[in-house]
Amino acid sequence: MRFAIITAMILFVLALIVGAIAAFYVSAGALGVISQSLFGSASYGVAVANALTLVLTLCMVIASMLTLAERKWSALMQDRIGPNRARIALPGLKDKSLAGLPHFMADGIKLLTKEDTIPGAASPFFFRLAPMLAFGTIFVLFAIVPVGPELQGTEIPFIEALAGAMGVSANFPVSLQVIPNFEVGVLYLFAFASIAVYGTTLAGWSSNNRFALLGGVRAASQMIAYEVALGLSLVGAMMIFGTVQLEVMTGAQSAGLFGGLIPAWGIFLQPVAFLLFFTASLAETKRAPFDAPEGEAEVIGYFVEYSGMRFGMFMISEFVEIVVLSGVTVSIFLGGFHLPVPPAWGVEAWLAANIGSFGLAVVLAVNFVIKILFLCYLQLAIRWTMTRFRYDQIQSLGWKILLPLGLANVFVTAALLLFDPSLELLAILGIIQLALLIGLTILYPKKRASSVHMIEVPASQPAGAQSATSLETF
Amino acid sequence: MAHDSKFDLPEAPPRDTGELTWYQRLFVPEVLRGLAVTSRHFIKNLFGGRDTNPEVVYRNRQLGNTVTTVAYPEERIPYPVGYRGLHRLVPREDGKPRCVACYMCATVCPAQCIYIEASEYSDDPIEKYPTSFVIDQLRCIVCGLCVEACPKDAIRMDTYEHTPPEYTREGFIYPIERLLKGPPVSYPSDPWVKREDSTQPKQHLPLHGIAGHSTEPVPRAAPVPQGKHHPPQPVFTERDLRKP
Repeated sequence: MRFAIITAMILFVLALIVGAIAAFYVSAGALGVISQSLFGSASYGVAVANALTLVLTLCMVIASMLTLAERKWSALMQDRIGPNRARIALPGLKDKSLAGLPHFMADGIKLLTKEDTIPGAASPFFFRLAPMLAFGTIFVLFAIVPVGPELQGTEIPFIEALAGAMGVSANFPVSLQVIPNFEVGVLYLFAFASIAVYGTTLAGWSSNNRFALLGGVRAASQMIAYEVALGLSLVGAMMIFGTVQLEVMTGAQSAGLFGGLIPAWGIFLQPVAFLLFFTASLAETKRAPFDAPEGEAEVIGYFVEYSGMRFGMFMISEFVEIVVLSGVTVSIFLGGFHLPVPPAWGVEAWLAANIGSFGLAVVLAVNFVIKILFLCYLQLAIRWTMTRFRYDQIQSLGWKILLPLGLANVFVTAALLLFDPSLELLAILGIIQLALLIGLTILYPKKRASSVHMIEVPASQPAGAQSATSLETF
Repeated sequence: MAHDSKFDLPEAPPRDTGELTWYQRLFVPEVLRGLAVTSRHFIKNLFGGRDTNPEVVYRNRQLGNTVTTVAYPEERIPYPVGYRGLHRLVPREDGKPRCVACYMCATVCPAQCIYIEASEYSDDPIEKYPTSFVIDQLRCIVCGLCVEACPKDAIRMDTYEHTPPEYTREGFIYPIERLLKGPPVSYPSDPWVKREDSTQPKQHLPLHGIAGHSTEPVPRAAPVPQGKHHPPQPVFTERDLRKP
């Protein structure tokens, strides 16, 4: 029963995503046509539409749903039920927990209506500036993430008719990416991620609170330490794909290796870099196991003096960062919006022939969103699986392990690229590494020396006598 | 002295020094294994349903659901057999209390929470009965000595309910009207059963001490038998119990 309901709900959400992606394409095309008739160039309208749909709708909705998902999913992982007490006082909804959705709304209302306090000794300007810096810089990162492939305006339904009615040509590129053909690409990510450090540091300093300052300093040193690893881990991918632009990297991953047997995804070519980047991005989000800057038991964090929505902006920026870094990871390492099938099968060509290029674009973009959601789940699961690192462990992991590994990865990748530009040698090494990792995980003996020693007690009653009475009732 | 190795404790395992093995120092496989554990619980609990029936102890679970939460008050775990719940005065078939106002329970009560006033029936073989039987549930320590002391099996704690919340202290003082409830009980030795004009079926009555001791909880909405000597049960509302 529950299985059927949950499956139906997942399918419903999937249908919602499909509809939303199609609507995104259509709205981008429509605004493109309008801006073409007004300003003579379609790219402004497409960019504005994408900013509204991708950043404000897709990214924001996923991020705010993650605040609920964090509580609900962690509950399921810990054998609890999770939030289900908030109700909506409307007929028909009165006695429904709605999977905890009212909690999310109640949270929003609470944060928006709470009193906004500013400590008397705080530095008012920087105190107000800090949440904006923390939130805005993370928020704009999604601009470089290519969600869907590029289409011509004529391929999108309704757009040609609209262009005809407005008297302009519909022959302009529409892609689900806010800034297409942005030359600096990933460097934009590094630049704005570094500015985000200022938000947390300023919040800690301007609060004029010792605990907040400690949290801010911790956040600053942690984020600086991991930005090095974050950047170094991508150098290999930049060398392989010969670009820093995410959409070009994504396009390069549609190629096949070994005659199309496996897709040329970054994770097959750069598994070490994938691990480094993922670890560093976890540390950048300042969430467990890297949540020393806001360690509840030690220092409450750089936002200890903030209330209401100013605190909410710090909180939501964490979740936005999860979504953004998932998107970047998917674009670089997990094939972007390309389907997870061997290119030799020709699935994308078959889809394009059967459901048209618009249908294919929607399928690919939905595929991208599903990959993002999977990585979001992975990050939340890691957060609820592992305990917090000690602060010196965080620093030594960043400087002594990730940094040398990243450097070694750069050298090995460069050497192999020089030796075999067709990437197949790199792929062989990568697959060996992945197989080693999976093999170690599965094959290593699970039994470990236990500190509790059980004494064997001989069975006094015949086997099955107990199960017949009490256990079978379960 | 011969050494009997049967009584030896097994050899102690090597002490955990806190040093990680090479495998644990790799860290990533261990993280993946931990992720497998959490994800397994997540999938099971997401897709597997569980019984939310408030009246069952052993809940049916699908697909290995391991949720341990009981969402009280929609779901509850029934009290175990023999749970000492709220007192009740056991009625006879005609709705009068079995109580003969002997003061045994009031005497034995260590919290002195039982107050009894006795009177006499003129026409009943029991002759003595309580006109007032009051238990102060706030003083009661739920020791069950009154049940043990009662010679007539007239007071029991088998309601499988705990004291419900009240708005006033007066609400916790239970008069006879609130105490007299539940299924009636009769024994072959009861005087009103042995009487000539009794309509009770004598041969099917259970032996003393087992009657009515069901392992099932008393149904919540069990109808309270109304006797002709007793007024109908008043319905208590919050306003009735509030201080004027």
